[in-house]
Formats: sequence, C-alpha cells, structure tokens
Amino acid sequence: MAYSTFNKVKNDPLKEPMFFGQNVNVARYDQQRHAIFEKLIEKQLSFFWRPEEVDLSTDRKDFMAMAEHEQHIFLSNLKYQTLLDSVQGRSPNIAFLPVVSLPELETWLETWSFSETVHSRSYTHIIRNVVDDPSIIFDDIVDNPEIVKRAETVTRYYDLFIEMCSQYSLLGVGTHQINGKQIEVSLSALKRQLYLTVASVNALEAVRFYVSFACSFAFAERAIMEGNAKVIKLIARDEALHLAGTQHMLNLMANGQDDPEMVAIAASCKDEVIEIFREAAEQERDWAKYLFKDGSMIGLNAEILSNYVDYITNIRLRGLGFDEIFEVRSNPLPWMNAWLVSDNVQVAPQEAEISSYLVGAIDSNMEDSDFDDFDL
Amino acid sequence: MSRTVTVNDVQTFTYGEEFSLLDSMEEHQIRVNYSCRGGYCGSCKVKLTAGKVKWVQDSLVPLEDDEILVCCCVPDGSIKLAI
Repeated sequence: MAYSTFNKVKNDPLKEPMFFGQNVNVARYDQQRHAIFEKLIEKQLSFFWRPEEVDLSTDRKDFMAMAEHEQHIFLSNLKYQTLLDSVQGRSPNIAFLPVVSLPELETWLETWSFSETVHSRSYTHIIRNVVDDPSIIFDDIVDNPEIVKRAETVTRYYDLFIEMCSQYSLLGVGTHQINGKQIEVSLSALKRQLYLTVASVNALEAVRFYVSFACSFAFAERAIMEGNAKVIKLIARDEALHLAGTQHMLNLMANGQDDPEMVAIAASCKDEVIEIFREAAEQERDWAKYLFKDGSMIGLNAEILSNYVDYITNIRLRGLGFDEIFEVRSNPLPWMNAWLVSDNVQVAPQEAEISSYLVGAIDSNMEDSDFDDFDL
Repeated sequence: MSRTVTVNDVQTFTYGEEFSLLDSMEEHQIRVNYSCRGGYCGSCKVKLTAGKVKWVQDSLVPLEDDEILVCCCVPDGSIKLAI
C-alpha cells in the first residue's frame, strides 16, 4: 500500500491502531488514543538541552593526565555511544514513520529521533574538547572490528523491517516475483518483524545505553571527566523516556489495548524477545572484557560491569512482563542512582538543585586578588 | 486527621506532608527502590492494597490498576502498600 503524506480519507484517529492502519493526516494533539505518547512528547520537549551548555574545560586536563588504559576505556565507551546514537538519530524515523497511524505516536517518533541527534551532537562536543584530532576517534568507529561487531546486531532488526516495509509500500500484500526472486508480503509477517524490532530497540536503549552510562559515571565518581558525566546525565534523562516509550509500545501490542491481531503475534515472539535480550547481555559482557583488557579502574572492572549487565537486563525483562533470566538480583552499582535522579521534579525551584543553573555560570577559578574588595 | 501508611502489613508510619510518598518513606527509613524520582523510570513501582492516593506528578510508566509510583503520589487518607 503506497504511503501518502496526507491521507485524504477521513478517519477517526482515536480508532486507528499504532501501526499499519491508515497513514496519519492531521497532526492534532488535543486528543489521543494513547495519551502516554503525548505525555512523553511534552516531557521530552521540557528536557530539551544543548551540548554547548555544558562546560568541558576541566575534562581536557583530566583526559591528558589519565593512564593510557583509562583513555582506552573512556574513548572506546564514547565511540560505542556515538555508534548507538548515530543509529538512533535516524532509525526510529525511517523504520516506523512510514507505517505509523496515530498522530501522537508519529510525533513521539520524531521527537525521540530528534533528541537522539542532540546526543550525537554532544559526542562531537565532547570529542572536540578532549582530543586534538576528532577524526581519529570517528574513523575508528567503522574501522575497529570490536565496534563494528556491535553495529551489526543493533541494526539487523531495523534493516530487515525497513526492507520489508519498502516492499509492502511498493508492492502491497501478496506474492510477487522481483528479479527472479519470490517475495511474500503479508501483514502478519510485517507485524511480527515490527514487534521484534521494537523489542531490539528497547534492548538497545534500556540495556546497552545504560551499560555505557555506568562507565561514564564511574569516571566522575572519581571526580574526573565530570563535564562528560554531566552530558551523560542529560542523555540518560532522555533515554529513560525513550525506553518508557518502547516499553509502552510493546505492552500495548501484547495486552490487546491496541491492534487485537498483535496479541497472538506478541505471544508467539516471546522466546525470540528473550533471546534478543540474552544476546545483547552476552555482547555487553564481551564488550566489558574489551574495555578493561589493558587494565581496570577504581570502582569498575569487567566483572562488576558484567554483573550490572545481568542486573539491568533482568529489570528490563521484568518491565516487559517477562521473567528474569540471570542470577544477579541486587544492583552492583548503587552509586548510579545519584546520577539518574531527575532534578526536573515539580518542586519549587528554590528547593531543588536544578542542573540548568550550573550551565557555565560559575567561574570556579579563584585567585587572591578576588578577595581584594572584601572588608571586614 | 493523620494519614497512616502501612507497608507489607509490618511497618507503619504517619505521612508528614512530604512532597511525595517516596520522600516520606525515606524519612521513615523504609527501603524502597527509586531512580529518576520523576515518574518516568518505574523503579519505585509498588502495589496499593488499600486506600487512595493523590497524584502530584504524571506517571509515564505502564501501571496496573493497583500499582502506583511512590515518587509521584501522596496518600489521600490512610493507605496500605505492598512492596
């Protein structure tokens, strides 16, 4: 079914499913079938930040003073985050916009993807501030086999879904002969691949990203690379919304509150979803070994990080209504919580420490001459 | 009228006008998970087994009918929780 940028058939958007209904026509936010996506849009907009707000001047000194193996940990982690946000800054849009049917979800996808591009811009901001030649870092992302390995897994589901949707858009449902190959296009196969793709995106944001955050915050716990940690804190605040978004999509599909056909499809995908998370966890553990191959640091090593991988994977599976698959029950990194607390809580501003107030406004360099005007 | 909060039928305390139930539970040294304190991570989800609550922040997390986020609400009368 060919995509239309303004579907002229009058429909009731409150009755459309999230995906594979009619293409969206009027973008209206005064009513929603699923109000949660409107709330997510509002929250994400309220979280808007620019990387340049964060002062990174002390990070450069910290980085130059770090041991070589720690620089490897920091840079490898940063390269991986850059890869993930490069993918996330385009893929939700490209994969899901052509088949979405609700205005609030369509705009959530765009808001979500847009915020991921702000994250990508923040990595450029960090890399520029920390090294002399950013190209060395960026080029390694496609050169380094360890990083390329991860790229394949995170893009596999997206790429297949995009290809299947292109066939659906071009050819419609049915059996087709293209270039001598037989291509089956069916809504049930598309919906199945949709469910698995959203699950793999949830694993990306809810597991992979959080493991990378742990590394970033571990440095700041030792009071180094604190500017980087402030950026990551802002990124983590956004990611919490994104993972809530995919979690909602998956739960709405599985519990019948959306497209009734999805209930059986979701149930049939259960084992594969668990496998997606298990594979992600295994890869993250292998990645932890690569990160710390030349040495670990105070507060974090391959074993602790692997335990965190297991712990966070369990939590995310529970969030989707699945059982835990790993043994680790308690959080091996309790200090993460302090970094993930939102100071966007709706209290009176004078009662909370709001990070936007710390935006380059304080010059903490003091000299004796600063006290010249003081009289007792 | 004091609002009593009973946790797991074992611990009981009186809610003291803190911003949220989470703040109140921490004041009374009741162990509860939290992460974002902003209604969007779901870590502080607990079951409300008796009574009603008032929401002071939006929850962005899927909740069953008997579940609440303690960072987002305050007791409306006496309540019972199961963690």
